[in-house]
Amino acid sequence: MDQIVSQFLLKSLHIILDSRIPSLHPNDQRSGHRTSVSRARKNDKWFNLVLGDRPAALENLNFWHRNLMDPMIIDVILVDEGSNSSSVDAYSAMKASVETVIERWVVHYESSRVTPNINDSSLHKKIYKKLIVLLRSLYSQMRLLPAYRIFRQLSSSGQTYNLDLIYKVSTFSNPFSRAEEEMMKEYTFAPVEASSGRFSVAVSYRKTLSDFNLEPATSLFPRIITDYVGSPATDPLRSFPSFDKGVRATSFSLRGARPPSSAPFQRPHSWTSGFHRPAPFTQGHSLGGSPPTYCTYGSPSPPTDMYSQRAQSYRSTSQRVNSYEECQLSPPFSPSPSPSPPTYFSSGSVGRNRGRSETAPMTIPHPTASGNARYLSPNFSDPNRHSLPPLSPRHTRLDPSSQESPSGIRSFRKQESLRSGELHNHYVNQKVTKDGRDDSGRFSGLLSSSGSPRIGFSRSSSRLSFQDDLDDGDFSCPFDVDDVDPPASNAVDGREGSELTSSSPMGAKSQDAAVGVLVHMLRTASPLEQNSSCYSAQSLNTEQEGGVATASGFFMPRKTTDALEELRSYREMKNLLRSKSGAHVLTKEEA
Amino acid sequence: MNCEVCHLKELEVEHYEIREVLRCILHTIIFHRALGLVRPKEIDLELFEITYVQCGDEEVEKKIDEKIDQFIGWAEKHPNKKSQICLSFFEVKNKQVSWFGKQMERLFWEHWYISLNVAQQPKVHSLKSHNNKVVDTGENILEERSIRRASLEASLRDVLFQIIRFVNDKKEHVPPIPNREGFISFPYEIAIPSSSDSAFGMDMFKRMLQTGHPTMLSSD
Repeated sequence: MDQIVSQFLLKSLHIILDSRIPSLHPNDQRSGHRTSVSRARKNDKWFNLVLGDRPAALENLNFWHRNLMDPMIIDVILVDEGSNSSSVDAYSAMKASVETVIERWVVHYESSRVTPNINDSSLHKKIYKKLIVLLRSLYSQMRLLPAYRIFRQLSSSGQTYNLDLIYKVSTFSNPFSRAEEEMMKEYTFAPVEASSGRFSVAVSYRKTLSDFNLEPATSLFPRIITDYVGSPATDPLRSFPSFDKGVRATSFSLRGARPPSSAPFQRPHSWTSGFHRPAPFTQGHSLGGSPPTYCTYGSPSPPTDMYSQRAQSYRSTSQRVNSYEECQLSPPFSPSPSPSPPTYFSSGSVGRNRGRSETAPMTIPHPTASGNARYLSPNFSDPNRHSLPPLSPRHTRLDPSSQESPSGIRSFRKQESLRSGELHNHYVNQKVTKDGRDDSGRFSGLLSSSGSPRIGFSRSSSRLSFQDDLDDGDFSCPFDVDDVDPPASNAVDGREGSELTSSSPMGAKSQDAAVGVLVHMLRTASPLEQNSSCYSAQSLNTEQEGGVATASGFFMPRKTTDALEELRSYREMKNLLRSKSGAHVLTKEEA
Repeated sequence: MNCEVCHLKELEVEHYEIREVLRCILHTIIFHRALGLVRPKEIDLELFEITYVQCGDEEVEKKIDEKIDQFIGWAEKHPNKKSQICLSFFEVKNKQVSWFGKQMERLFWEHWYISLNVAQQPKVHSLKSHNNKVVDTGENILEERSIRRASLEASLRDVLFQIIRFVNDKKEHVPPIPNREGFISFPYEIAIPSSSDSAFGMDMFKRMLQTGHPTMLSSD
């Protein structure tokens, strides 16, 4: 019987701590943990409830809980650490934690009589059975009380918050003050009568926990990024609760609503998985996937449309690329030309969207593998951005998180600028050397038309310098860039439209035209690379590495003048090429 | 040993909410009656901010899902009706019938009645007709829906509390746990209103006969 009592205490402590203290099982996937098929340890089978690893604290229970008859009082305490440790004086450093008991569990085996234990096994069996039921209901109840939500939030994402849950086990406890008591609600489980005593479990819990603001700790944004590396499977909105939780701790509204609301968000997020889909594709495919450049031109199509259009362009592009049957673009090379302008363009928005998982591709490593994704993601953040204005409140709250990203973005931009700049140089060289070749001529013609995206690129690079200034100052106005973009993009539209008309039969300033331009650019890239073989490959590799080097942290602000010079050079290029082989371009536009 | 009956609070659900609500309630009840070795599995509801616990047994899950599917099928044919689902636990007893040999008999020791009122939201067909009104009715409907959803969540939570309370209060009637290996839960059955009876009464009547069996051969 004593064994039953002690095991009961242990088990109930285990249950309570398991579902309230996030630090005990930091790395467990909750569901995986619970449903592991591994054999349960013998100890764990008590009361027919397999709970998994026992926290170390439980092993100590036997030591301090000398007398089984004492009540075991478990306080679940919510610690509110001071939010900002920025102020230096000792006083504020000390003000930190406010501890509030949000739940008090009392597990007690009250011994009623001093009669010797009747070792009646059938009686024990009955008691055991009843205790099983009691523990089951305790287990369920843990999940229904308000504190459970906080526990879930704290233990779900990898972030740390300003709140923490700790516990305290004791045999005595300070009674609550009047004010505190009024906030508490009591619930008592039906006691289980035994011959020599009675098991009782009761809880006093705070009715509402809306007084506590669950906010993410501000120091851990790098971790946020790494969490999102290549993992669209990670709940895309998981960051939202952390950012939006300035509102209420118990407002699981985001979490609970997450799946249904993730449905609308799924759409913009569904194309994050689309980001990763291109990765296995050939480069041509992935490049073809950059119709997002037409969002560079200010087309505010909703993300879902972008997605479908992208999908279509994937298909069409793949057809074209296949029909084109040029050899494979080397990975370092291929992503660079066309996607870079959109990368520039939307690199700002990437940071903003970092709260969403589509910025996962933005993470720095794997320039080759993630190159596609990286290039693509900024593209998609464009349509995302256009669709975002209704969500701006949320995104402004995301801004603290995006503070981390600017450095990443800047490095990317730098990388992109470097690469594209160098690529352009390549193109110029290529064109000069391969004038005679139809293809190259065509490509150069296409390049000239692709100069329009280039112009967009340069524009964005010039804007990059603006943005740098913006970023340096304040990244909290993500849609400032939006304001900048449309006029610029309109300008680009105009330019592009004119160039397209000159370079292709399609005269309309249509998104399809932009897509076509990009596609051509892509196809342009491949033969160029082939022809230039080692030179381009090497240089591209080097520039890739150079880009990586810059991406890895070195940031050099670009001046507007640089960008304008680039623009000028592109214009010259374009004119040169046009003059040389304008006619060839016409044939290449396929529907 | 007597048969305990628990009538759970009635819930107003919409068609798409039936599955989640039923799953939650049925699994919770069974979890408390699955006194064999269980590895509890926590499930978060998608539509509500509620987490419930499953007993982690796949067969149980399958059986429950089947029954829910059947019920949803029935509810589609009988819209806007109040319906009850009865989850009953029984013991299998061998009753010696004189000439025909042994007969397996079910002795119910617990009934849970889950009452659902499947409401059908009025479909917004009139989208074409009133241009101005559409927006309003759309918004109103959404608002009503969210209000309804919130109240349903609160009621569902109440129902779960009700289950826990009932489970705690009445423990005497639970039969002893058999010692066999692989025992997860007491045998149970889930009765849904079938298309044949319009009144749910026939099932209830039958069950009452069984549970009110005079010769209780319980050992407890």
